[in-house]
Amino acid sequence: MRIERAISFKLNGQQVTVNTPPAYTLLEVLREQLHVTGPKEDCAKGECGACTVLMNGQPVCSCLVLVSQAQGAEIITSEGLLKDGRLNPVQEAFLKEGAVQCGHCIPGMIVSASALLMRNPKPSVEEIRTALSGNLCRCTGYTKIIAAVQEAAKNWSH
Amino acid sequence: MMRSEIDVLTPQTLDEALNILQQRQAGLRIVAGGSDVVVQLRDGAMKAERFLNILSLKELRYIREKDDQLHIGSLTTYSDITNSQLMREHAWVLVSAAKQIGAVQLQNTATLGGNLGNASPAGDSLPPLYALDAYVVTRSKAGRRETPIEQFFVSYRKTALRPDELIEEVHFKPMNSNDRGAYLKLGLREANAISIVDVAAVLRDRSANDSFTEARVALGAVTPVITRARKSEKALEHKPLNEKILREAATFAAEDATPIDDIRGSAEYRKNVVVSLVYQALYEALYGRRKASG
Repeated sequence: MRIERAISFKLNGQQVTVNTPPAYTLLEVLREQLHVTGPKEDCAKGECGACTVLMNGQPVCSCLVLVSQAQGAEIITSEGLLKDGRLNPVQEAFLKEGAVQCGHCIPGMIVSASALLMRNPKPSVEEIRTALSGNLCRCTGYTKIIAAVQEAAKNWSH
Repeated sequence: MMRSEIDVLTPQTLDEALNILQQRQAGLRIVAGGSDVVVQLRDGAMKAERFLNILSLKELRYIREKDDQLHIGSLTTYSDITNSQLMREHAWVLVSAAKQIGAVQLQNTATLGGNLGNASPAGDSLPPLYALDAYVVTRSKAGRRETPIEQFFVSYRKTALRPDELIEEVHFKPMNSNDRGAYLKLGLREANAISIVDVAAVLRDRSANDSFTEARVALGAVTPVITRARKSEKALEHKPLNEKILREAATFAAEDATPIDDIRGSAEYRKNVVVSLVYQALYEALYGRRKASG
């Protein structure tokens, strides 16, 4: 028999409560119940990073988090990185540098890159590569992605 | 059973979790960070009727030194280990493994206790814990039990954990300035790759002429459970070490390992990699990260 539990967490600054089977993943609930479709499901094994969201400030694969484990947490997706309706410096830089090809991996890339700049506003190229090593781009457009994060670091003010 | 039919119990205290385990019902599975369990669940490899979600037990997330032992709570993540000054100074072999597990996202959620409980022979934290002679502390309503790590892993994916127990922590003797150690991993790429072979080496108590009283060499992803390369270890103890002895000890490691054949590598390939990787790990432990060729 289908089981539902009420799970509450903060999503992109707003408190939400969903009734959902508790063993669904956070990603499934974000996309299918809350219609927040920035995070994507590609590998569903934690290997590609397309589903990356911030959970309590840290990038995690939302495909590997049971929604029950998000109870009381603060979740931020690529949508939630906008400030007052404006793109954040990482999002701006991805546009400016043309760092987007098919676009599928980009929300995850942007979340990982923003998390990096939040804790290290002046990263080296090596640190950018390490921070993005869990985000795969199958168009292999890494050069411009790295350049975009370097560009974003110039305009990052936190 | 459909995933929509699975319940999740989320205790707020360790005591509450142990009560649930004391009256454990069939089909209950424990989930911590979820990085193995959720994948197995969705693959259909894990049968579960309900989960005990222990990620909420903050009291099991700690790193501390007490009575000349380093204690790591089972819900400590790999990021916690990497960011800990105590770990970087006194357990850098484990830190090195933690940094090479998955990528940032996994390191933020995967827990040390989860790696032990999942008991994969390719669990990258396990060779360092073997090389550090760690103890696994398990806990039930009846009390605590300490098990040397080699006895904790019984056979392929099978541990000595009892149905009413949780993994509480691991502890081991800190590495100090007279100890040397290294961890090396071979995967298909650097990030998000399961080990083909990984090696942890720890040499304890150095005297002036590069002689050590105790050597530990542990091989991961080679056999159904982690293997200690005992013949290599003997060849390294109580004598001044040099490159020739390291090479000889590395050759012995192939004798202790009867490698598996799988999708990531043939047995023959693994045997060759074991010798190379053990040599490189010993070289790096002793001389630092330099050439290690030959």
